[in-house]
Amino acid sequence: MARFLANRLALSIVTLFILSVIVFAATQLLPGDVGRNVLGPFADQKSVDLYNHQVGADRPVLVQYGDWIWKFVHGDMGTSRQYQVSVWSLLGPSLVNSLKLAAEAFVLVVPLSILGGVTAALRRGRLTDRAITITGLSLTAVPEFVSAIFLIVAFGVFLTWLPVNAQWPDGTGVLGQMKYLLLPSLALVMVLFGYIARMARHGTIEALSADYTRTAYMKGVGTATVIRRHVLRNALLPTIAVVATQTGYLIGGLLVIEKLFNYNGIGQRIYIAAQNKDVTMLQSGVLLVGLVYLVATFIADLLYSLLNPRIRFGSAE
Amino acid sequence: MDTERRRRFEQYRASVAGPVENALLDELGAGELDRAEFLRRATMFGLSASMIGAALEAFGHAPLAFAATERGTAGGRLRVGCIPPPAHGLDPHTYADTGSLVTGNIAGEMLNRTTDKGTLVPELATGWKSNEAATVWTYQLRKGVKFQTGQEMTADDVVATYKRLTDPNGGSQALSAYKGVLSPDGVQKVDKDTVAFHLDAPTGGFPFLTSSTTYQAIILPANYQAGTFEKTPQGTGAFKLTSYTPGVGATYQPFDGWWGGKPALDGVDLKYFSDDAAVVSALLGNQIDLINEVHVSTGRALFNNPNVEIFSAHGATHRLVPMLTDSPPFNDFRIRQAVALSLDRVGIRKRLFNDLADLGNDTPFAPVFPSSVKLPQRHKDIAKAKQLMAAAGESKGFSVQLTTYKAFELPLLAQIIQRSVKEIGIKMSLQILTSTAYYAGSQLGPPKGWGTTPWLNTPINITDWGGRAIPNVYLSASLNSKGVWNASHYKSKRFDSLAKSYVAAVSLKDQRKYAKQLELLLQHDTPAIYPYFYYQLGAGAKRVRGYHADPQGLVYLSHTSLA
Repeated sequence: MARFLANRLALSIVTLFILSVIVFAATQLLPGDVGRNVLGPFADQKSVDLYNHQVGADRPVLVQYGDWIWKFVHGDMGTSRQYQVSVWSLLGPSLVNSLKLAAEAFVLVVPLSILGGVTAALRRGRLTDRAITITGLSLTAVPEFVSAIFLIVAFGVFLTWLPVNAQWPDGTGVLGQMKYLLLPSLALVMVLFGYIARMARHGTIEALSADYTRTAYMKGVGTATVIRRHVLRNALLPTIAVVATQTGYLIGGLLVIEKLFNYNGIGQRIYIAAQNKDVTMLQSGVLLVGLVYLVATFIADLLYSLLNPRIRFGSAE
Repeated sequence: MDTERRRRFEQYRASVAGPVENALLDELGAGELDRAEFLRRATMFGLSASMIGAALEAFGHAPLAFAATERGTAGGRLRVGCIPPPAHGLDPHTYADTGSLVTGNIAGEMLNRTTDKGTLVPELATGWKSNEAATVWTYQLRKGVKFQTGQEMTADDVVATYKRLTDPNGGSQALSAYKGVLSPDGVQKVDKDTVAFHLDAPTGGFPFLTSSTTYQAIILPANYQAGTFEKTPQGTGAFKLTSYTPGVGATYQPFDGWWGGKPALDGVDLKYFSDDAAVVSALLGNQIDLINEVHVSTGRALFNNPNVEIFSAHGATHRLVPMLTDSPPFNDFRIRQAVALSLDRVGIRKRLFNDLADLGNDTPFAPVFPSSVKLPQRHKDIAKAKQLMAAAGESKGFSVQLTTYKAFELPLLAQIIQRSVKEIGIKMSLQILTSTAYYAGSQLGPPKGWGTTPWLNTPINITDWGGRAIPNVYLSASLNSKGVWNASHYKSKRFDSLAKSYVAAVSLKDQRKYAKQLELLLQHDTPAIYPYFYYQLGAGAKRVRGYHADPQGLVYLSHTSLA
């Protein structure tokens, strides 16, 4: 286990480094410069050049990257070239917001999808199975901006049951924040339910047809116990992997949801930074999302090894 | 008109009014100005309300009527949705985008203000006068105005502000208004409450340049430090900016020392939006009370909604479609005229703005300008367009690419132009870029050239131009031979000379004389198409009272209340 952890840590550091180089290089390919983007098309060239010089955007690319990575590894994310404030002062709250939205979406979609998938598998071929599968597929096929707009219009504008914007006023308590996040969370549930439920269904069907399950039944173990002790822990292995891979999307890939619900998440911060060539903000934002993703997959691997003794005792590939 | 009032009016003309004011009154008396035009020009020249009223009465017009401001109950916090968010920091002299100018102008004020009717009203200056040549403008400052820091406003603060605005090396975005008009040395203190502007060139419409039209011209303390606007309240407005988070929002509290008294609102909460659907649904879902700017193309749900009030102001905001005059295929004026004649402007206005726009006639003289002369309106005429194409040797047409970027209704307009020119044989492909790519590259300006940026160097493109209270910037920057934003590379000595005369003209009669010649010249040469001038629109809940749309898109809340 210790060797496993050390390997994963080393791999994570290398992954993040490669990611930072790729993003930095890609940013240089974007058109325009931060000075022109910030000052607008009607600013004279002298002002634009002055701005670029003040924020260090006219230095050689390698110098800019080296300067940034050196500060980053020492815990300093630098200053936003666009807003001239510390990157962390803007990214920090955005990341917290994204984590809150991801958490609420998670709490709703994971149990619901697993329940749906297991139920569909237990009633395989019957009406319940068909209904859950078709509903899940249909919801997945609908783009998130369509389902989001539907939810906004139905529940926010016509019924006025829920707020249409997810950003709560200052001083709102936890329950209030959850109410504000309910509509965007539901939009995410609609997107993710089908995929996770299908994985859970597939895993459950495989586990139900396995020898050990047949043996358990033949020993006289009750259905509920068989499901709980033998089927689920094996059925959920692929589901855990799928859920972990969705974490990156839930944290940093919700640009459309954040825009429609006017939510200050990290996705929007990264998008605006890319638009304005605010390299320091963009780099830091992408690395933060990458870090969260790596932590999530690491936790998923740990859970996997807890559920699968073959991993723990090192006898599996 | 009673005897005493007439006596005072005649005394004003004899001993107070200068040549400029008397010329204006003569124009009204001779019937060369209608009531609306007179009001606009009288406020521009700083005539007081009582004199304006007396003049109207003396020459047989309807007297001035002052409608009581529609006022709701005092109290309540106004929730404003602002789209898009500020692009960068909030130093007023750097404002170049809607988010910044809205944020800053809720807390700041200028020397005067342009109303939604195009007239000027006093704000931090109570009066202004020009010399006969319109080269020196003297402003009387309002006494007893305090900054939100507690200091009293004096001429020193106005001088410092305008030196910053006109400094060519200070990153001022107001140079587009003041370059060639006012230099830092031209701003001079006369006494504690008087400032004189000595202009580089005669400018009859100068008071508009000190008004909210130049949204960077917020008066700040003389010791203002760059980068502190969002950290310390230091405007003079009815509301203090007390917190600001980039990309998220800002909050304002009432300023107890405001010269105008106590505002009706308990405060303002400004929320930034980057998506039209989100801000529209926020208003419909009662999460905000007011939206700073809406467009017909993206806010249809608001129009004809019984719970929503649409605020509109006529202005000169437009889309410019320049065609490169110095290289094929548009180097022949007949081809440019043919393209202009292929457009169904009435249909375009209906389709894109639901008729909430004025028709353009291929000159920057929007109908809202009093100096504009109404020429016969250009309409779609395919037969004539084809004749012009044939005369230019292009009866078989040609291929060309139109470039624009993805914002507002620009892509839709591009598609409409593409379909329209197909009828005269032009195969037009579209290149729709992001705004970043469209404005990327260098802009050097003549005599070096126009750099590499697409918006100044493509054969035909569409660019959005903000509204102005007077057309001077359009003439000097986008059409003058040496104009830095001359996207059509138009070079006409006659145009340059006429534009210079227009800008220098003081009387409306002279301005119209030059305007007519300019309009005729531009219609002939057609370096660019001006398809429309759309109205500046805002939207709010019915409970918002006392709010008026601003021609430049500012959000002015000092007299706004909630029912």
